[in-house]
Amino acid sequence: MKPFDFVRPEDQEGAISALAAHSPNVRILAGGTDYLVELKHVSQSPGTVVDVSHLEELKGIEEVENGLRIGAAVTHTEIMNHPLIEKYVPAMIDAAHTIGAVQTRNLGTLGGNLVTCVPSMDSGPTLVALDAEVTVLGKKGARRMPLTEFFVGPRKTILQSDELLVDVVIPKQNLGKPTAFYKFGLRKGQALALVNVASSLWVKDGKFADVRISLGAVAPVVIRCPNAESSLEGQEVSKNVIEEAGSIAVTEAKPIDDFRASREYRNDLIDVLTRRTLNSAVEMANQP
Amino acid sequence: MDITLTINGEEKSASVPPETTLLRLLREEFNLTGAKVGCDVGDCGACTVIVDGITTNSCLMLAGQVEGCSVETIEGLANIDDYHPLQKNFEDLGSLQCGFCGPGMILSAKQLLDDNPDPSKEEIQDALAGNLCRCTGYTKIVEAVADAAREMRGDIEAA
Repeated sequence: MKPFDFVRPEDQEGAISALAAHSPNVRILAGGTDYLVELKHVSQSPGTVVDVSHLEELKGIEEVENGLRIGAAVTHTEIMNHPLIEKYVPAMIDAAHTIGAVQTRNLGTLGGNLVTCVPSMDSGPTLVALDAEVTVLGKKGARRMPLTEFFVGPRKTILQSDELLVDVVIPKQNLGKPTAFYKFGLRKGQALALVNVASSLWVKDGKFADVRISLGAVAPVVIRCPNAESSLEGQEVSKNVIEEAGSIAVTEAKPIDDFRASREYRNDLIDVLTRRTLNSAVEMANQP
Repeated sequence: MDITLTINGEEKSASVPPETTLLRLLREEFNLTGAKVGCDVGDCGACTVIVDGITTNSCLMLAGQVEGCSVETIEGLANIDDYHPLQKNFEDLGSLQCGFCGPGMILSAKQLLDDNPDPSKEEIQDALAGNLCRCTGYTKIVEAVADAAREMRGDIEAA
C-alpha cells in the first residue's frame, strides 16, 4: 500500500471535520473488505484515510419515529443477529447471509456495501424494494434521499468527498411488509450475484398492492421494475399474472454478457427469480 | 503510529506506518507467523484471527483499527503438550496436508464452537466458507470440527 495519513476520529462530528479538512484527497474506511483491497492495488496514495468503522453514532439499529434506522457502520453479521431486523425486515437477513463469508460479514458494513455501489451488491435490492431512504451528512448539514437517488452508476454514488453516509431508514409503513430476496451466485459462499432480486408486496382482499420488484447485478445500479410492478398492482393474485410479471421484469433490465454468465442466462435468471420472490412474498402475506 | 493491543492475553505495543495491516503487524512486529499471507485480499481466510470475539481477515484490517482490541491467534490457542480438541481431531483425522489453511481453519472453527457448541454439518460448512483449502477437500475438515464439537460437549470421550 502507498503511504497515507490515518485518522481515527472520536465521533461523527470529528469524522465530518476530518473529511472537510482533507477533501478532496480523502477517503472513508469502514469495514475495509472492498476499500483495503483497492488500496493495495492503486498506484497513488489516497492522501488521508478516515476510519469510521468504530463510530457509535453509525452503529445502532433502532426504531425511530419514521421507521427503522440502521446505522451505516452496522456489519452484515450484526444485521443477521438483530431482533428488530428479524421482526421487521427478515429479508435483510437472507440478503446479508449471501454476502462473502463469515470473516467478511464480520467486517463489512451495510453503508460500505451501498457506498461501494457495485451493481451486484446484495444489500441493495431488499432496501430498494422497501423504499429505504439514506441520510448523508456533510459540513453544511444533512440531506435525506431515497436510496434509488443515492446510486449513480457502477462504483459511483451521490456522495461528495467531504460527505458521510450515516444511516439507512426503512419507512414505518413498510416494516413487516412481506418481502423476499433471492440471489443466484455460482457458489454458496464467496460468490458475486449473477442476479439478485427482492420483491415486496401486500395482498389486500386477494389483490396485489404496493408491489415493488428490485433487481441487482443486471444494470449499472440496483433498479426497480416499474412496468412489472404496475402489471400486478390491483390484480387478483394468480400464477398467470406472476408469470407475466417475470417476463416483463426481463425487459426492464440490461444485463451484461461476461465471463461469469451470458446475457441470455442472466435474463432467464431474472424471470425465474422474480417469480420466485413474488411467490414467496405472497406466501408470507397469506400467513396469518 | 503507535499501537497498543492485547495479543493472546498479553499487552503489546508497536510503532508502524498507517498502511500496515493487522496481518503484517502480527507477522513482522510480533513474529507471530501462524496467520498466513495467502491472497491478501480477503478471499482465502489463511490470515484469519479472532478480534474481540469475532473472526476477521487480518489482511483487511489496518493496525490502527485494532488499537485497544484483544486479538487471538493460533499461537495462543494451545501448546504442543496440550492441544485444543480441534487441533487433536484435525491431527487424528488427517484433515490437513500442507497445513497452510490450518491456522485460519481452526480459528474459524473455534469461534463457531464458542458461539454454537452443537452445529449442524451445514452450519460448519457455512462457518468455514471463508477458509479455502487446496489440498484435502473439506470432508475431513468438517468431520474433525464435528468430532471436536462432540468431544467438547462431553458426548464422546477424548481419544
